[in-house]
Amino acid sequence: MSTTIKKDAALRRAPELGGQPPAKRRRTVSERNRPLWMLTPGALLIGLIIIVPLILGIYIAMLQLDQYTIRKWISAPFIGLNNFVEAFTSTDLVHAFGNSVGFSVIATVITVPIGIYAALATQNAYRGRSLVRSMFLIPYVLPSFVVGSFWRTMLQHDGIINKALTGLGLPAGQWLTGPASFWVLILVEVWAAWPFIYLMALSGLQSVDQEVHEAAAIDGALWWTKLRYVIFPYLRGPVALACLIATLHHMNNFSLAFLLFGVPAPFDVQVLPTLVYSMSFTSLRFGMGAAMALISLLLIAIPLYFYLKAVRLDTGTDAGGKK
Amino acid sequence: MNNSRTRIFGAVVLISLGSLAVSGCGADNNSASAGGAVNGQGKTLDVLVGANTNKAEQFKAWQTHIAEAFKKQTGADLKFETFANANDELSKIQTSVVAGQGPDVYAVGTTFTPTAYSTDAFVKFDSKMWDKVGGRDRFVPATLGISGPDAQNEVGVPFTSRPYVLAYNTELFKQAGLDKPASTWDGLLDQAKKLTTGSTYGFATGYADNYTPWKFAWAMANQSGNPLVDGKTARIDDPAVLKAYQTYFGWLTKDKVVNPAAVGWNDTQAAADFAAGQSAMMLMTTASSKVTFDASAVKGKYAYAVMPTVPPGQASAPSGGQPVSSIISGDNLVVAKYSENQDLAAAYIKLLTSEDEQINYNKLFGDLPTNATAAKKVQDADPSLSPIIDSASKAKTTPFTGAWGDIQLALTNVVVQARPDLGNGSVSEATLKAALAKAQKDAQASLDRASASK
Repeated sequence: MSTTIKKDAALRRAPELGGQPPAKRRRTVSERNRPLWMLTPGALLIGLIIIVPLILGIYIAMLQLDQYTIRKWISAPFIGLNNFVEAFTSTDLVHAFGNSVGFSVIATVITVPIGIYAALATQNAYRGRSLVRSMFLIPYVLPSFVVGSFWRTMLQHDGIINKALTGLGLPAGQWLTGPASFWVLILVEVWAAWPFIYLMALSGLQSVDQEVHEAAAIDGALWWTKLRYVIFPYLRGPVALACLIATLHHMNNFSLAFLLFGVPAPFDVQVLPTLVYSMSFTSLRFGMGAAMALISLLLIAIPLYFYLKAVRLDTGTDAGGKK
Repeated sequence: MNNSRTRIFGAVVLISLGSLAVSGCGADNNSASAGGAVNGQGKTLDVLVGANTNKAEQFKAWQTHIAEAFKKQTGADLKFETFANANDELSKIQTSVVAGQGPDVYAVGTTFTPTAYSTDAFVKFDSKMWDKVGGRDRFVPATLGISGPDAQNEVGVPFTSRPYVLAYNTELFKQAGLDKPASTWDGLLDQAKKLTTGSTYGFATGYADNYTPWKFAWAMANQSGNPLVDGKTARIDDPAVLKAYQTYFGWLTKDKVVNPAAVGWNDTQAAADFAAGQSAMMLMTTASSKVTFDASAVKGKYAYAVMPTVPPGQASAPSGGQPVSSIISGDNLVVAKYSENQDLAAAYIKLLTSEDEQINYNKLFGDLPTNATAAKKVQDADPSLSPIIDSASKAKTTPFTGAWGDIQLALTNVVVQARPDLGNGSVSEATLKAALAKAQKDAQASLDRASASK
């Protein structure tokens, strides 16, 4: 029975997703006889905002640009790849790299089931559903500054969390320093970021046609079978994209680590953005900071590659979550 | 989706270009200097000062008052820009230095003055320039200690003085049969032990503070005769520094005279603990804390005292040691080289460092005057300030090198990375030695870059 449902769902899915608004828009843009010159303002802006700074960034990464040379930065000594070599050999870059990847991947892996579960829980209409949906979004819409400050206060040595733990007879912990700090960063990031997965999953769920539900019901599918073979295939695309975007966001999240732990960061929670920040703005080594930022860019380019690939494949009729 | 892609790209690029990205938009409003008559008529002087968030209303009133007085004297308008913290200010300085325009006069912290000096973006004061701001001799000599590497190369004009002292709870001292804080670290520790009873602790200090911890290491090392920087050489990997950190950590781990929660405190939290009467002494604080303490449970029950000047493990000052009680602390005023309003800038500094304005500023914010006459008057009027003024005379400048920012960071980092062990109750000598070796390496690398840049 499940095979029938699977096939049925797959058959319906293709035209359904192919007809989705985003795919349609993209297809029209790629048509040849459109007045593409009208994109010029956008292209100019992209050049100005992205390309020029990027090239400058690459150039600065090869300069010995620091407090001594910033006043006449154009004439700062050119030192080729020295900044990159030093970044790898005598800074915490590799360690921070590991931390960043670990943090981003773990945070994403934890948020996915939470987000999907929340989306499923608010899929069927019930009294108060809109209130629950709005509440789910609270962590996501709170500014990082607020999230970081609140958690920092709560996680203090004599903060409310430790007081609650000791009240329950559990040992108090050092959350903002030492090995625990890494997990605290993940915890707070998960708390603040899961609604993104929830939103994306919800959008996936809403694209499930009513007929599909009916067909599954007629076939007598149980909830798990329906979930596994009917609903999940619809979610695969949006959730996979959400994972990539979320991972990129985690990796780039400077404010949370900065607010929770400050600079210099505890060694266990030194991530790339805070390292780049402290190199650039505490040690005032702008060239070195730019070099490290470029290395982070390469790191981010890996999930970005999959993201772009996914987005490109998400056109045409063979839509869905294929990467 | 295109949007988020662009955003991600943009974010990455922005990180890599932090300093430059802002430079484009950071350049604002110095155009007012164009045109206008002599005497400042029709001109605007753009000045950057630290926002006093504790006394926001007074600060606003002070700004208005200064702007009026300035207008009266010079005919020019004064435009205040404020910064909330050191990072804010640093960004402002970077962007202005790169762009060659921005505020005409900056108020910078004393420990930041060497960094500002190293950018070569600020005016060096010759005798003519000193005359324009009212003469070099109008200042308390000790406050000039961090104006430049030597008297011929000064960029900073002392504006406020905030020497470090300790505050002690006179009531708790009395109860413990103690008269006043000891003048040696060992003596002070003995007193702290006596004062630690039940939920009350001898010392309040913030191990998680970003600015204070290194000052203990610096002071104790100097008292043992190690200035931390000797010419072009860092001396952090040194027994005197090790002893300093061991003493500082030992208060919590071994002597148990500090609340264990202090491992996560910054200085504001430590001050709150002292203000609540929970600890008998607040170490390494300034006269600015008076505002907090006078509005707290310890009002009228506390006094300031000079911190010990005899290093840990010694009964009297060792030969070669420096009896320092504080870094030279406070704010300096620096004039940007790019400023087209040099004379107006001088007039502004002259106004701010005049006797009347210095006394006024002290009344409003508690910072001590740098103007010698004003300082004398303030001291005469309020004898309770005499320990603070005494500490100012025992203050010594931190090494005047562009590398100091990095060295400070390295010294702070020793504490930051030791905090897990500190919380667990012991920081081993081996761990500490390794941390000091790393700090030494980082400090030396930065000193090498500083000397290579000359």
